[in-house]
This record gives sequence, C-alpha cells and structure tokens, in this order.
Amino acid sequence: MPSHRARRPGSTALSEVATVLPRVGAGRVEVSGLTWRPFGRREPVLTDLDLAIPAGQRVLLVGPSGSGKSTLLRALAGVLQVADSGELSGSVVIDGAGPHERAGAVGLVLQEPGSGVVAATIGRDVAFGLENTGVPREQMPQRVADALRAVGLTMPQDTPTHALSGGEQQRLALAGALALEPALLLLDEPTAMLDPGNAASVRACVGEVAAARGLTTVVVEHRLGPWVDFADRLIVLSSDGRVLADGGPRRVLEEQGADLVAQGIWVPGAPAPQPRGIPAGLFEPGRFGANEVIVDAADVTVRRSVRMLSGATRSTVAVRGQWLQARAGQSLALVGPSGSGKSTLMLALAGLVGIEDGVVRAHRSLAAGGSRSPRDWDTVDLARAVAWVPQWSSSTIVATTVLDEVLTTARAVGMVEVEAEARARALLDLLDLGPLSQADPRHLSGGEQRRLAMASAVVHQPALLLADEATVGHDRLTWSAVMGVVEGVRDAGAAVVLTTHDDAVVARADRTTSLARPAQPPAAEAPRRPLLARCGPLSLLLGSAAAIPAGVLAPHWTTGLAVLAVQMVLAGVGLLAPGRGPSPEGRVRRVLVRFAPGVIGAASVAWSTWLLGGRDLDVAAGAAVRVLVIVFPSAVLIPFVDPDALGDHLAQRLRLPPRPVVAAAAALQRVHTLGDIWAEIARARRVRGIGASRSSPKALLAEVGALTIGMLVRSLQAAATLAVAMDSRGFSTAYERTWWAPAPWRRSDTALVAVSVLPLAVALLG
Amino acid sequence: MSTTKTSTTATRSTSSIRASRPLMGWRTVDLLTVTFLGAAFGVAYWAWGQVYAVPGDALGALFPPLAAIVGAPWLLAGVVGGLVVRRPGAALLCEVLAALVSMLPGTRWGFSTFVAGVLQGLGAELAFAVLGYGAFGIAAAAFAGALSAPLEAVYEWFTYWADWTWGWKIAYLLILTAAGAVIAGVGGWLLTRALASAGALNAFPPGQEAREHRAV
Repeated sequence: MPSHRARRPGSTALSEVATVLPRVGAGRVEVSGLTWRPFGRREPVLTDLDLAIPAGQRVLLVGPSGSGKSTLLRALAGVLQVADSGELSGSVVIDGAGPHERAGAVGLVLQEPGSGVVAATIGRDVAFGLENTGVPREQMPQRVADALRAVGLTMPQDTPTHALSGGEQQRLALAGALALEPALLLLDEPTAMLDPGNAASVRACVGEVAAARGLTTVVVEHRLGPWVDFADRLIVLSSDGRVLADGGPRRVLEEQGADLVAQGIWVPGAPAPQPRGIPAGLFEPGRFGANEVIVDAADVTVRRSVRMLSGATRSTVAVRGQWLQARAGQSLALVGPSGSGKSTLMLALAGLVGIEDGVVRAHRSLAAGGSRSPRDWDTVDLARAVAWVPQWSSSTIVATTVLDEVLTTARAVGMVEVEAEARARALLDLLDLGPLSQADPRHLSGGEQRRLAMASAVVHQPALLLADEATVGHDRLTWSAVMGVVEGVRDAGAAVVLTTHDDAVVARADRTTSLARPAQPPAAEAPRRPLLARCGPLSLLLGSAAAIPAGVLAPHWTTGLAVLAVQMVLAGVGLLAPGRGPSPEGRVRRVLVRFAPGVIGAASVAWSTWLLGGRDLDVAAGAAVRVLVIVFPSAVLIPFVDPDALGDHLAQRLRLPPRPVVAAAAALQRVHTLGDIWAEIARARRVRGIGASRSSPKALLAEVGALTIGMLVRSLQAAATLAVAMDSRGFSTAYERTWWAPAPWRRSDTALVAVSVLPLAVALLG
Repeated sequence: MSTTKTSTTATRSTSSIRASRPLMGWRTVDLLTVTFLGAAFGVAYWAWGQVYAVPGDALGALFPPLAAIVGAPWLLAGVVGGLVVRRPGAALLCEVLAALVSMLPGTRWGFSTFVAGVLQGLGAELAFAVLGYGAFGIAAAAFAGALSAPLEAVYEWFTYWADWTWGWKIAYLLILTAAGAVIAGVGGWLLTRALASAGALNAFPPGQEAREHRAV
C-alpha cells in the first residue's frame, strides 16, 4: 500500500523535507494508466486514466455524479487508500516524485466545511502541517500569519475554529494547505455547501493565491460557471471515469456544450433544467384549499445550545422573532447566509426543535391529541402531516432494502400497502433508483441516498414537505428528478418549504423569504480566574488521582472524615479567584452538581455494605466516606482540565507517542458534535413515524439502539474524512513532531501536587 | 505512489482477517477510528452513568454482587476498538479514551473512571494479545469481554467493596466476567458486525469480512 509506506522514526528525511521550498515552476503532474476499483464494486471508478498537467496550470475538472472526480483528486494527493481499500494500479508523479515525497507538496481542500478541522483555534489548525513536518516552534507564528493573511482571515489566531462561517472554514483549510508551501493545490467542490457570498469569497481567495504563488491548481466543481474565468483548461470525465473532453474552457464549452448539458453537467449559459414531469395521478388531490395556511410560525425565537466536553454549555440565538407561513399548493424558498437560521426555522415549523418564544400552529384539521402545535404530537401523527428531508440522509436509513426504506413511513402511518408500493416504485423510477429497489440502501452513493431520502419523505403524501438543501451536489439530471418530485407534491396540494442557496430553486419557488443572521447578545466581560485555572491538565489529574489512595488507606470513617475536611478546605482555597474584574459565577454550584452523583454512589455503597456487614453502621460509614474521599477532589479539579491542552501535555511532558495523542485530541475536539448528530437522527426518526413513543418501552430500546449505531456510523465517517485531510497535511509520517503550543509545568502545578499529598498524609497518619 | 500495484488476495476461510502488516504500522485512519469510536462510546458511557443506577440498585437489592451486570456495558469500547482495528493497543486506546471522555463532563466516580478505563482496556488488550492479534470471531470477542472484567473487579474490591466478604467479592468478579463476555463480548461483536454491514468499516478487516460474506 504505497500511501502507507511508513517512514520509521529516526528517518533523516523528515528534517530535510521541512525546509524544502517549492522550486519556481513546480507542480507538474503526470498520471498514467491510473485505474482504481474499490473493493465491493464490480466496475472501476477510474479506468486507465492518462493525464499530464504542466506546472502552474489551472484545471477545472467536471463530470456527472459518480464519474470519479473526487477519486482522481484523492489519487493526485496520494490519499486514495487512506480511508478506502481497493485495487489501484498505474502511477501518479508530481515533479518527478510520488505525491508523498514531500509532505504538504500537494494541498487538498475538501467539500464539507469544517470536515478537516483538527484544532480548537485557527492558528493551531493552520500550524498542523508545520507540526507534522517538524518545523521549529519559533518559525510557526510567522508562517501561520502569512498563510492566514493570504486567505484574508484577519481575526486573532486564537479565534475558535467553531466560530467560523462555512466560507471562513474553507479559507482556513486553504490556509492550512498553503502553510506547507504546496506546488499543487487540489480543491474538491470547495464552494458546493456555501451560500453565494461565502462561495464568492472562497473563489476570489483561490484565484489570488494561485496567481501569487504560481500554483498548479485542480478544482472539481459541479457548477462550473463561476470558475470558467479562473481556469486555463477544462477536463470532462465521463460517467465511467474516462476523459471525455479536454481543452481551453471556452473552446470545450463552445464545441461540446450541448453534449455536456445532456450528460447533466452544469454548463454556464445553458438554460436552467426543467423539473421532470411526474406521472399523472401519482399523488391524490390534496384536501386543503389552495393557499390555505398549513403551518403558521409567529414571532418565533429559537435558542440552540451545545454541551461542551467540559460540561459547560454554549448557547446561541439561532432564530430571532421570525414570521413564516407555509401554504397549501405553494413552495417557499428560505434563503440567507449560513448561520441565518434557515434550517432551524424549518425544524421549528415541524416542532422538531423547542422554541423559546412565539407560536407555531398547524391547520386545525391537522390537530392531534387536542393540540395544533406539532411539538406536542406523537411520532405517527407528526409523520402523517409532515415530512422532512435532512441534509445528512445516510445516518437516518433504517431498512435493508431500498424499497422497504421508501415504505417505512407509509407503513408507520398505516397507508394501504399496495397503493404505497405502487407509488413508491413510481417515485424510485422517477428518481433513477428503480433498478436499485432491492439493493441495500446503506451501500448507495451519497447522491443516491439523498434522492432516496426524498422518495421516502413523500410516499404517504404529507401536507407539509420540508427539505434542507435538497439540490446540493446534484447534476442537471438528478436535479430535474428531485425538483420534479418536489413540485409534484406541491401541485397535489402540499405546502413545501425549501432551504436553499440554489438560484434555480429560488427562481421556481412561489415565494421567497430571506433571513439574516440574528444579532447575538454581547459577550460578557471575562471573569477573574480561580487559582485552579492556572494549573495544567496533568497536575489536575494527579491531584484527582491522589484521592484514590487517600480514600483506600484511611483506616476508619473518622479518619476519612478528617481527610474529607482537609480536601474541602483545600478546594475552597483553589477556587478563590483573586484579582480584578467580575467574580466568576457558579464555582461552588459546579462542584456540588458534580459531587451530588458521588454522594448518591456513596449512599448506595454504604447500603450494600450495611446489608452484608452484620448491619454494622461503623463499617457502612467507612465505606461511604471512602467513596466521598475518592470522588470529591475530582468534582473540584476535573472541570478545570482543558481537553485541548491535555494532548500537548501528554505528548510533550509525558512523551507519549505523538500520533495517537494527536488523534485523541482530534476526537476530543469533535465530542460536542456527537450531541447534534444524536439529536438529528432522533428528529429524523420522529418525523418518519418510527420515533420513540412514550407508551412502548420496546420502541424506546429500539430507538436507543438505532441512535447509537447511527452516531457510531457518523463518527466513523467523520474519522475517515479527517484521516484524508490530516494525511494530506503530512500526518502519516509525523513520527517526530513539533508542537504549536508549549506544555509548561508551572509553579502552580507543583503547588497543586504538593497540596494534594496533604489529605493522603492525613489518611496515613490518622 | 509511483508505479505501484496493490492488490489484496482475499483468501476465504473461517479464520479472521488480520490487520495489514506490519501490525504496529498504524495508519492515520486506524488511529482516528479508534479515537472517534472511543469518543462516541465515551458519550454513551456518560449517558449510561446517568441511568444505570436504577437497574443496578434493583439487582443489588436481590444480591449485591449482581450489580456487576450493569457494569458490563462499560467494557464495550475496548472490545469493539480491538475488533475493528485489530492492531496492538487498539483495545486499550479505545477504552481509555471512552473513559476519559465520559469522565470530563463529570461522573459519579471522578478520576476513578479513568483508572477503570485503563484496567478494563488492559484486560481486553491482553485477550487480543494472547490470541496473537489473529482471532476476532465471536469467541475471541467474548474472551476479550471476559478479560476486561477481572482487573476492574479487583480494583473495585479495594475502592468500593472493601468491606464485603471474600465470597461476595469473588461472586462480583465472576458475575462481571460473565456479563463482560456476554454484554461486552458478544454484544461488541454484534455491534461491530452491524457497523461493517452498514458500510462504515470499509477500510478495516471487518468491512472486508462483510464484503466477502456478501459475495458468497
């Protein structure tokens, strides 16, 4: 496996590569006979592909869905086998060497904003490649600053990565690649998931850096219009991964434009595609009068909060005071920059998020259980009235064949099976999924899964259809199919709400509502820091650990109580926050909240000990106090452990192997997103009529199982994508790494460890 | 990647597919998969820590050592990490990270959670090592689940059950071991198989096994 050819620790090549800068005119690419067949697929994705790109050329790579564009980019970056296995033959040569000869020689920017983020702050994220190639720490700030300036990110380097917009995250990924002085820059649909403003900023930025540094650039993009002026050359791949057309963009478009349109490629200047007509009578006539209000949202405010690993929550206003009406037989386009709350407002319409203020009311004939608020409905009632197509459809799959998947909701709401099946088959045909009806939906491509989600949403003909970015990533043909279904449902009387950045969708919508980013309350002044906040993670963990022997060794409960008293006094000191500024809030409350479960645990241990120990209160008290002594310091100290600093300290202070430590830090970085994933899968199940129901414990168990699997699958997908991003920045050979942040052992750390010995001493002497 | 050809000869047999050679040649995706699995299990562990006491106390009221049964789900991460990646250290790293992630937001046991993670992970790791990192079937998984238990049980003797009689202590160890074999071992094996058939493990031996199984 060439991409994993391990350079063992001690290799001298590492220190050399760090200092090599690209030669002028570097970035020459030669591909010959490249064939790639992933295991489990009969046909290769790329077939005997030959390609030569001279240094400095800017290539636009296009092709219909599934033509292997992204695969070719990954092959050029040498990361094809990072997260996939298959048969690879042929060669890729960059400036006479393999893509791996110099870490960072090939820069790669992935489609999904944020999918390649490895660090908590933007400075550290850009420095990731520098760390991997052993650049000394003192050189990092300058190179990071240069890279950030090149992409126009002017905020401070300690800005949290999660605070960036999608477009800023893409520019951050670009900066991370630029910091390694690449000769070849690869961009995999860098603007597909961005709003027009952010997309334009990313394109402008790519144009500038490519020109300034003379980079060879390959851009994959579905919508090639805005890139035509940027590119010197247009390469079109066919659906079986061969080169179909190759030449100057304008010439290729002039000569073969019509062919390319027929292939489904978004050729600039071509008229917008027409939604595919649906068979007459596929849907029944709706039961609402035209333009009747199906769901009415009045003055809705939604606050969303994310639970961080530290136990704290971060909350933002996602929607503020919005008004919206979804009307029968009309489609409504929700537009606005990312972060403006389009998706959240849509969820509020379906009662899939709680609202802080305002009213969401459905048509009175939809009322269920005496309530017109969808939030109160049970899963089947909600499914009958509302369908929701999420952006991520893969993790909501529940069935093992495509046909069963499409019929899931129809069955849950009790639709007549033969009618449902006939409609399901017609919809699958319409969406070009007909031949796959017996396939396992989990093995479909991403685009196929998105179309499947659309089919699954509408079989039972809900009164309200909500679709989140339904046309992202589609070519002209699949676009027509998806929009055909959307308009078919609308014309049969459903209310349709679409969030979108797609002009062609907006142009066809009956109404458009534009949202702006809601104003956030101003950040409060930073409070004073408690003494413990000055300690590093290792001393905090050592202090917590010292409590275990103290608890175990205390001979009697009276001694234990003395130990606990000492611990509490010390905690009081550690929580003091001398200095100026507002007093930090909730210090004691936080300790109590964390200590309360320990107290319950102690009571339960005491109970079982009392039962056994001849009902001896002394022994039971000893057991309880032991548990309290063991857990109390953790309740005080662990909230101060900074997960980001933990990796630095484990690697630099404890000399643990760098790559596992970085991988662990990257995972800790993403933990807070797991809650979102869990919530999204739960929502999808609820709106499909298979969510947990209060009445059935069995359904609850099934729900927990499905959510767990879904969360694991999504985590694994995120890990695979991140592996590609990290390896394209030199991580696979980062055995001798340098570190962006130091891991100092301060006097406060020594003091904490020294003080933590006191309770232990009391236990031993007591 | 200049002029190279890669192919894997898939020999169909009843034995497990090993990780690619060298066994210690951890790929980036191996590392990230173990740590992301660990993080996800950590969240689940934390959630289980919020509710386990209800069944745990009910069982404990019947016979206190029976409470060990509700401890077994906390042994899952090590087994699954080992089954997926099949490299030395995978089980330990996965379980330790899960323990760390479940500890940081706050648990009943504080730092003790982390110590438990190390002891459980070492047990699972030992099982895979004894099998030479070459067997990953249901029996091997049950063995790993079982071995995750003893070190943890002994640690708990000293921290939580110091005053129990030896009979109860031994019973606790045996029950935790048996529950580990069934819940963490067999359960972990089923979970790994489910992940593989969901197409989430394509870059790993279980994914390859699932493909070959389908190809039959």
